[in-house]
Amino acid sequence: MGGAERSARKRRQQQTAGARAVAQARGPAGPDKKIIAIVVAVVLLAGVIIGGVLWTNASKNSTAGQTITPQTASAALDSPGERQGVTVVSGKADAKVKLDIYADFLCPYCGELQKGFGDQIEQQIQAGTVQVTYHMIPLLNSRSDPPGYSLDSANAALCAADETKFTSYHDSLFKNQPQEGARGYDKSQLIKLGQDLGITSPQFATCVNSSIYNEQLNAALQQILRNPAFQGTPAIFHNGTPINNWAQDDNWLANLINQA
Amino acid sequence: MLDVVGTLVRLGLAAVWLTSGSIKVSDPGQTYLAVRAYDVLPGGLVHPVATALPLLELALGLFLLVGLGTRIVAVVSAVVLLLLIVAIAQSWARGLTIDCGCFGGGGQVAAGQTRYPQEIARDAGFLALACWLTVRPATRFAFDGWLRSGRAEQAVEERELERT
Repeated sequence: MGGAERSARKRRQQQTAGARAVAQARGPAGPDKKIIAIVVAVVLLAGVIIGGVLWTNASKNSTAGQTITPQTASAALDSPGERQGVTVVSGKADAKVKLDIYADFLCPYCGELQKGFGDQIEQQIQAGTVQVTYHMIPLLNSRSDPPGYSLDSANAALCAADETKFTSYHDSLFKNQPQEGARGYDKSQLIKLGQDLGITSPQFATCVNSSIYNEQLNAALQQILRNPAFQGTPAIFHNGTPINNWAQDDNWLANLINQA
Repeated sequence: MLDVVGTLVRLGLAAVWLTSGSIKVSDPGQTYLAVRAYDVLPGGLVHPVATALPLLELALGLFLLVGLGTRIVAVVSAVVLLLLIVAIAQSWARGLTIDCGCFGGGGQVAAGQTRYPQEIARDAGFLALACWLTVRPATRFAFDGWLRSGRAEQAVEERELERT
């Protein structure tokens, strides 16, 4: 055995001795790290799941327990007998412009239409130049979670029309429009809105709770779906002709009145 | 070198999951509509799936980001991507006109607005990333590497001890 070999062997022995000492001091490395990994994994998963479910539910159920803020509208817009079948007619019979507006209380673009032109339309109705027939179309009935808000709100609006409170009820629902795909308002919230708008008759609550107009509303939905000119909500018709430029032309209503 | 590629693959797939998951989680209503639009789940399952899917995507993204359990996460990723591809393909085959909602959006679109081939190709690309990590999960800057380094060191030490 040469001197170089001997010293190399000695060095190796020292090294292994050192390694052994380190290994003993550190303890078995595997299990410790495994535990850390499992803890990290569990913390990550738990954080994502708990945080995510809480956030999702809070965000989707934001209408729960809320009061729908009542909006006021001129009493002149509503008249006894304004409900005709499952439509509501607002305005003078001799108005020169007669509009049919088809909307769903859940439909975001219907909310845009109301936001952009609701006041203008109501002013023209009051001025006697425009008569509007409101059609409640439960097109998106399956698109709330839980489903059913489109029909419940359409039915409740008709119940409000029976109490000559349609316009303010309609405006309040659009002003506080729930998000599509999320929770809408339940029947007790819809009843509370009517009461906040000054409806005192106990028949209103019965009307909302019994979904009295649902069948007729669904029938009206099926009927409008057969009309090839109907391309979804919102839809505005003037003498049977669809008005498609309302989103592009801010003056569509004024132009219509001037041309009539 | 392959480890470097693997690291990019891992971080790339992590970015995909984190992006798609966070967009979905931030708009739960839209996600619900997107899941509904596939028209495959019974009504009662739409809500739980629409809640769970974005969270699953986020979890997969986080695990890939830190590189923990890379192979298992890659297998789960591949399964999820396969399911998504099947879901898109069935919509296409049945003539539904929907957006996959893969990165937000989703729901019904006009007849000419569908992008099924692109959506499937994109998901197939992500599936390839998941397959890479399933076959070769070793990457740099990964929790897994740190775990293995412990085991490897220990193995070397033990071998050294045996030799003496």
